[in-house]
Amino acid sequence: MTRRMNRREFVAAAATIAAGAAAPDVVRGLRGLEPEPAADVKLEIAPLKLEIAPKKVIDTVAYNGAVPGPLIRWPEGKPIAIDVTNRTKLPEIVHWHGQWIPSLADGAMEEGSPMIAPGAMYRYSFEARPAGFRWYHAHSFAGHHLDRGLYTGQFGCFYVEPKENPGRYDQEIFLTLHDWNAYMGGGGDASMDAVYDYATINGRMLGHGDPLRVREGQRVLLHLVNASATLMHWLALAGHDMTVVAMDGNAVPEPRKMQAVRLAPAERLDLLVEMRNPGVWVLGETRKDLRDAGMGIVVEYAGQTAEARWMEPAETEWDYRPFAHAQAAAPPDQVIPLLFESKFAGHGEFDYWTINGKSFPKTETVTLTEGKRYRVAMTNRSMDDHPIHLHRHTFEVTSLEGRPLSGLLKDVVVVKAGTTAAVDFTARNPGSTLFHCHQQTHMDFGFMMLFRYA
Amino acid sequence: MRRVAGLRGGETWWVLSKVLVLAGCGLGISAVGAAAQNNYEIQVYGADTVAPQSTMVELHSNFTLEGTKPLRGSAYAADRMFPTDHAEHETVEITNGINGWSEVGFYIFTAERSGQGVQWMGDHIRPRVRAPDSWHLPVGASLSLEFGYQRRVFSTDTWTLEIRPIIDKTTGRWYLAFNPALDRSFHGESVNQGVTFAPAAKVSYDFNRVVSGGLEYYADYGKFFDPDTLHNQQQQFFPAIDLNVSPAWEINFGVGIGPTAGTDRWIVKGILGRHFEWKHRRAGSSDSMQ
Repeated sequence: MTRRMNRREFVAAAATIAAGAAAPDVVRGLRGLEPEPAADVKLEIAPLKLEIAPKKVIDTVAYNGAVPGPLIRWPEGKPIAIDVTNRTKLPEIVHWHGQWIPSLADGAMEEGSPMIAPGAMYRYSFEARPAGFRWYHAHSFAGHHLDRGLYTGQFGCFYVEPKENPGRYDQEIFLTLHDWNAYMGGGGDASMDAVYDYATINGRMLGHGDPLRVREGQRVLLHLVNASATLMHWLALAGHDMTVVAMDGNAVPEPRKMQAVRLAPAERLDLLVEMRNPGVWVLGETRKDLRDAGMGIVVEYAGQTAEARWMEPAETEWDYRPFAHAQAAAPPDQVIPLLFESKFAGHGEFDYWTINGKSFPKTETVTLTEGKRYRVAMTNRSMDDHPIHLHRHTFEVTSLEGRPLSGLLKDVVVVKAGTTAAVDFTARNPGSTLFHCHQQTHMDFGFMMLFRYA
Repeated sequence: MRRVAGLRGGETWWVLSKVLVLAGCGLGISAVGAAAQNNYEIQVYGADTVAPQSTMVELHSNFTLEGTKPLRGSAYAADRMFPTDHAEHETVEITNGINGWSEVGFYIFTAERSGQGVQWMGDHIRPRVRAPDSWHLPVGASLSLEFGYQRRVFSTDTWTLEIRPIIDKTTGRWYLAFNPALDRSFHGESVNQGVTFAPAAKVSYDFNRVVSGGLEYYADYGKFFDPDTLHNQQQQFFPAIDLNVSPAWEINFGVGIGPTAGTDRWIVKGILGRHFEWKHRRAGSSDSMQ
């Protein structure tokens, strides 16, 4: 039986074939024409049987045999060489999310980064910047294969060390949220969506991993990334407030204490927690069904041995606005209006998605002029929230639901269903730049477009 | 961004097994066909169950345009039941979700016909379990057990039991459902006839996000191992429309024809359902599913 190739799969195949002919600086590791200096980091993509709890084993693909992949800490502005070897049977690619790096090293085939063929090795070389909490993850097509791309364990944290770090904390902990065993569910009155059997923090279900060990009086900095392919997560640390100090690795203008926080897929939060309530607590999803599915981790004070306790946080509204300045941002040089809509394909199918009436790769390509400041004015006329991501740039959130704000720097922003949002960015990183919804079920079904520089 | 929580299969399978054993014991005593709900609840069941902490309230409204007629000089038809011709049947169905894989439904059947006023017809109770999503079956599967009473003037059998396996599948724009139901009577004319087979099926197509249309089929073949002649079987075909206006509402409408002698000739049916969620969820909050 023959199967028609999806457009994104076609682009992937073409990118893989073209890898050998791509820019010499980027693929020199493949050609082996000259002696290579040793890589700073080596990643091996390979199948993994991940035990998330006793007798619960997930067949997945991961970096270096672990979930999450290794934490990469690297000084801002310093060149880094990362060798990635693909030991799977499918082409893969690694996206360095949130970094200002060249298109060919960014790890998105739509921008021209080559796919890494099965058995091949590829060297990513770039200068790590900007400082802050970034991450890396698979950026391959999954479509109806809900065991590929972001559904797998291919993700890890990348911390770009600032040149000066005031270090107002005693302990730093990186936490990755993920959902496992996706399948098509829902239907009925709505279209299909990805639903999951299990959820983990740092690859283990609640109660089955090592606890986070803290001491009374400590100030703990939590770096959280939502590495789920499609789900938003709400988290709370029982018995404690958490101060949001950064979003997507960028300090927020107005840090705030919260009882619960929300992370859309690909969003990151830096949370400062003062450990003033000795005991054994659960840091977990606020929704019981998701905690039961495994989304949580135990926080254990030194000398405490009790059963981990969960306490419901006060019901919390999540809004970016209180973390930002209330004043409007300066007017941009140009406004790019974008309309997001869904196309129904049946209650037994995922929706298809359009930007200004077209699905990728037929979406229009917007031409940017270097140095100009642009405002992407987004209207979400669908029934889903969309975590929108702009590659290779940081943007400023300048409007939510028609109300202005400023100073909040991010690379993923949720445009809520039936609302509007605007983000501003300066075109200062020439090259193809991908713009898409970070839900795998949306980006695979048309929700992407490219910006290019004149 | 929706999710069905992780459910473990072992406990559910234990309950399913118990229901099957109990149903099997009940059906094994002896039995007979008793399509007690005929023309009161005309619906092909889907495999999904109502979510926990929520309730579905449905009103089934069925009008028989052409059915059984009274004998000359009598208020009753030939089967000593009230005639169905020009009868309006209103059924209230209240279904409460127990957990992620079970529910229990309760029915109040009523009938209205010129000269007879509004009559209470009977009540049924219907527990149901389904295969949890975590089993990853290629189809939806559930098992319903319906037990209840109906008055003799509306049914030749007063106490009846139905076991209804339910299989369905949504793929692309198509929806398929099959309910191979088995009925038996505990009291009435059909007690000694054994188990009867009353299958129902549905196929529908999503014309768009809101409107789905298709064909529903309802039948009662009589005894499972010795079916009635086609002439005497109940056979009904309903071209039907479903309107998916909101997850909170269920709207179904159809016109049915019964081509056999054992079936009312023309019926118009409608279902209006409203889903009530008892768990407070505030959109955009830590209690939201978004």
